[in-house]
Amino acid sequence: MRWLLRRIGISLALAWIVATIVFMTLHMVPGDPAEILLSTGGVSPDPAAVAELRERLGLDQPLLDQYGHFLLGLTRGDLGVSLVDEYPVLDEIALRLPRTLELILAGTLIAVVIAIPAGTYAALHRGGLFDRIASGAAALLLAVPVFVVGTVLVLVLAQILRIMPAGGYVPLAQNPWQHLTLLALPSLAIAKGLAAVVFRMTRASVLDALSRDYVRTAHAKGISPTRVLVKHVVRNALTPVLTVLGLHMGTLLGGTVLVEYVFNWPGLSTPLLRAVEARDYPMVVGIVLTISGLFLLINLIMDLLYAALDPRIRTA
Amino acid sequence: MKKLWIPGAIVALIILLAIAAPILGLADPVRQDIANRLAGPMAGSPLGRDEFGRDVLSRLIWGARTSLGVAFASAIIAGVIGTAFGLIGGWFRGLGEILTVRSMDIILCFPPVLLALLVVTLMGPGAGTLILVLSVLYLPGFARVTYAEVLSARSLDYVEAVRALGAPTWRILFRTVLPNVAGPVLVQLSLAVASAVVLESGLSFLGLGVVPPAPSWGLMIRGARATMEQAPMLLLWPCAALTLTILAMNLLCDGLRDAVDPRTPAGRRRLRLVDRVFPGLVPAPAPRSDAVLEVQNLTVEIATPRGPIRPVQDVSLSVRAGETLAIVGESGSGKSVTATAVMGLLPPVAVPVEGHAWLGGKDVLRLSEPEMRALRGGPMAMVFQDPMSSLNPVHTVGAQVVEAIQAHQKISSAEAWAKAEELFKRVGIADPAKRLRVYPHEMSGGMRQRVMIAMGIANNPKLLICDEPTTALDVTVQAQILDLLNDLKRETGMAMIFITHSLGVVSEIADRVAVMYAGQVVEQGRVEEVFGNPLHPYTRALLAAVPEGEEPPLGIPGIVPPPHNFPVGCRFAPRCRFATAACEAAPPPLEAIRAERQVRCIRWHELTPTEAVA
Amino acid sequence: MNAPLIEAVGLSKTFPGKGLFRKGRPVQAVKHIDASVARGEAVGVVGESGSGKSTLGRMMLGLMPATEGSVRFDGKLVNDASRAEWRRLRRRMQIVFQDPYGSLDPRRRVGDQIADGISIHGLLPSRKRERRVAELLNKVGLDPAHAQRFPHEFSGGQRQRIGIARALSTGPDFLVADEPVSALDVSIQAQVIQLLGELRRDLGLAMLFISHDLPVVANLCDRVIVMYLGRVMEEGTARSVFARPVHPYTRALLSATPMLDPARRARRILLQGDPPSPSNPPSGCVFRTRCAHARDACAEVVPELRPFGDAGTRVACIRAEEIA
Repeated sequence: MRWLLRRIGISLALAWIVATIVFMTLHMVPGDPAEILLSTGGVSPDPAAVAELRERLGLDQPLLDQYGHFLLGLTRGDLGVSLVDEYPVLDEIALRLPRTLELILAGTLIAVVIAIPAGTYAALHRGGLFDRIASGAAALLLAVPVFVVGTVLVLVLAQILRIMPAGGYVPLAQNPWQHLTLLALPSLAIAKGLAAVVFRMTRASVLDALSRDYVRTAHAKGISPTRVLVKHVVRNALTPVLTVLGLHMGTLLGGTVLVEYVFNWPGLSTPLLRAVEARDYPMVVGIVLTISGLFLLINLIMDLLYAALDPRIRTA
Repeated sequence: MKKLWIPGAIVALIILLAIAAPILGLADPVRQDIANRLAGPMAGSPLGRDEFGRDVLSRLIWGARTSLGVAFASAIIAGVIGTAFGLIGGWFRGLGEILTVRSMDIILCFPPVLLALLVVTLMGPGAGTLILVLSVLYLPGFARVTYAEVLSARSLDYVEAVRALGAPTWRILFRTVLPNVAGPVLVQLSLAVASAVVLESGLSFLGLGVVPPAPSWGLMIRGARATMEQAPMLLLWPCAALTLTILAMNLLCDGLRDAVDPRTPAGRRRLRLVDRVFPGLVPAPAPRSDAVLEVQNLTVEIATPRGPIRPVQDVSLSVRAGETLAIVGESGSGKSVTATAVMGLLPPVAVPVEGHAWLGGKDVLRLSEPEMRALRGGPMAMVFQDPMSSLNPVHTVGAQVVEAIQAHQKISSAEAWAKAEELFKRVGIADPAKRLRVYPHEMSGGMRQRVMIAMGIANNPKLLICDEPTTALDVTVQAQILDLLNDLKRETGMAMIFITHSLGVVSEIADRVAVMYAGQVVEQGRVEEVFGNPLHPYTRALLAAVPEGEEPPLGIPGIVPPPHNFPVGCRFAPRCRFATAACEAAPPPLEAIRAERQVRCIRWHELTPTEAVA
Repeated sequence: MNAPLIEAVGLSKTFPGKGLFRKGRPVQAVKHIDASVARGEAVGVVGESGSGKSTLGRMMLGLMPATEGSVRFDGKLVNDASRAEWRRLRRRMQIVFQDPYGSLDPRRRVGDQIADGISIHGLLPSRKRERRVAELLNKVGLDPAHAQRFPHEFSGGQRQRIGIARALSTGPDFLVADEPVSALDVSIQAQVIQLLGELRRDLGLAMLFISHDLPVVANLCDRVIVMYLGRVMEEGTARSVFARPVHPYTRALLSATPMLDPARRARRILLQGDPPSPSNPPSGCVFRTRCAHARDACAEVVPELRPFGDAGTRVACIRAEEIA
């Protein structure tokens, strides 16, 4: 229990450090955001307008006050408003985050369902036909960048064969079937890299587990091969697979940007990209913080899962 | 090494093309020619023109230059700084560690693409920004890898040896530690380059990387996407170039990792499935005695890249109920392989090619796997050397014992747990009900070995094989385990095979002993006879090498021959004081002197005083 | 007995508790130990895992700082020697390790590794180093041509010889041998024991021989220190300790050691349970929890190491006279 509290404490501390770094870098960048925001086509903006905007954004206050204000807002869940349309950043995130998460979860699900059994089978029949084909496919899948896969999927399935929609989004409540059809391609694109990684990890850790002494002990007891596989091989091979899965789900949080862009999936990436171009700082900061927070949360959950899977960590 | 060639050559070719781009006489990659917009292959443009009429081939090669330039620059910057950080953090620990390695955790809190977007927002797009972002992103990887390697190197004996020699810190770091770290860092470098190519193209694809009109694969795909219905080929070229580059780089990384990391086998060993000898094909001689286990002329063959080897050859042994047979030998003598073969637990590469092993009227070398399974853990059980690695760390010890019970007895779980508690009591584990629910790592070595023994005797075996069960234990704990095994044998009347390298242990626990050398039994008999009156020169030399009493121990010159290099004649001849030409000419047979006394030496008679034989 | 070359007084070592997320209890690895070795003398340190015997050796070599206590080498206190002084001292004290595989750098030729000591201390001009390496290899019974080979080309026993040659390269006066034969097969083990014995005789080395194997120590050493849980239980000449052990732990250890010759086998004294954790040692006498002779008084005071009998034996047991 103390271990859990400590672990949560570390996560919170990291979250605070992240927030501070984001805030500080924004304010240490040369140039005044208000000025940059108001400049259009190299024309210097009206100083009065700049001053007005600075005051409205609180940029005229001392840095420490701004920082305090920023942290206070964070604890209340207030991420400020967009500089572009003054829409509350939190509302925008609340609207779009679920869509991004849906994509990630769907992709992860596909990857895990395919890759873990395939990896186990390949390891058991190491060097066999399936192993060679699957390992080759995994290497290829790893090598194709996600936006290339996405673009080619759109080109072939939507533009040439016209059997799938090129992209877009329909809420689930509005039309469940269409929602799922639109979800299919982007989640496949997301699943491809993850599946390759999970396949390789599963294969490697099953191979490792197979060579362990305790597997020999299990055979020496005279229990059935299926039981040896499930209780002693796969069960022990799962921990490293989980590590990799956790690590990559975190990476995906940012990596969906490309997929959402290619398939016009209105997740977090649309406002993020728009905000990056418009230098809409509160929006960028809000989204970066949300995703980093989620990232930390996933790591925390993964750590808890380890402890559940591996008793050695619990007592360490 | 073979695995490195093809991807290595492809990567080298791409790098060469990128470097040579200015002197290849390519068209200007940024010169627009609206008239030839989206033109197909034409003179001077074998791959056609893009949406602004620019030459595709030229842009492809110049694009490689951009991508690889950014990738290598950032990977090298991150590599140099990160490695330095890891070295400092790992060697000096303390504050240095916090500043250089722990601080990296913060970078890892940001998903990579996101961090890149954040920096691009602040600094604007461009190659410089990309290099900065990517080097920051890969910094933690290098720092961590180096840090971990330095930490493990610090505790290595040979690093401590250099320290003991009085070497100054810089000399230790550069001469001893850095070469150790170099391999993993090289792998990390190639990983970073491959990953940087992906990220660079992704960001350029989003319009946040390289600024147009500069050529870049990501930008080319971005551009071609707009016109993909009219000119799908425009999409194909940069996609193919990108995929091929990354694929080759990944394969190169894999190959490098295998070459550097000794833990993963370098080449994939093709395992030939064991073709089990057909049962009943050869009329087998019936078991000769009342032995619980009778091994006759067992030979085990292992297929290796250098050809088949026979780590066990022509081994015959037997053990009766209530008797302990010790198999003693040095490493490489084949004692463990013999036991593993009897249990049917040989790895697939090792096959018992000759001989029989009779257990209760069945030849266990010729049973099907399901029949063997019914025997293993039931009538014959085994206790292994290292109780820590032999127990599964993720299940409680109780569950593992219960599993053994239920594999052979059709009883309910509650009954099985009660039985396990009974077993724990029997092997001398205090507070058995509580200890059943404990994980292996929470027990001491001696306790774990007691658990293994409980598992072994769970189904009242006729034969218990113990493979160096006390080697990993302290001497006072070893004494406890030996006593326990002796008591159990007396109580149950089971037969026991005890494998060990310690002659003292043999003398304490065994009734009979088989001395093995280089895959063969060289002498066998009752312990007091063999030790009191050794007939084989090896047995004698071995006894003289034991440090006991006032006499200094005498070493045996030379080393045990490896299995692929066994001598043709007597395998001990090269190290034997009494060897003659005849000894080296032909393999000596295992000669039965009288009941239960055998020796494999053609000169035993002349070397032994006559009264000792009688 | 002549004056000791190296003398440790009241050495203690406490390791801070380990633990990723919480501080564990500090581990008392070694507590108040005196040890001395004279020129030409071999002192054995015997104990099971966790007894602190390796820690003691490393502290005497200065490879690990002592938490408490002092070490005097050749009459000079070396505790607060400067880095430069330490480097000069290193030349005179060397170590041989247990693991013949881990103790040699797999990436460098063995000749270069043996020459390290010579070049670090600038003992010989570089053109003479090769000859010296050849001499050293010869001395440990290896072919001088082997200098050009890499460690993986040698067997365990040969590597151990290389490790010894490396330790001898600086011409040390004091050698710590940390379980040098434990990882070797018995026929090879005897070869290395023979070699160490010869070197001690020929070079007049002071040797601290750390081992868990009583017969080996009895055979090679003049004096023995028996350790349990970081403390000395008994010390004396090898002959008297093995022939007439006094401390209950020494007796149990000796009786537990498997002996080839049934005549030598003492009546087995079985110790109950496992050694307690060094992070939570018992009060009073650390051995009392497993001792058949323990009384309430044993829990109260830490028994001091005191002379017993006339053979120069010292023992840390308040009931030594009653038991003997």
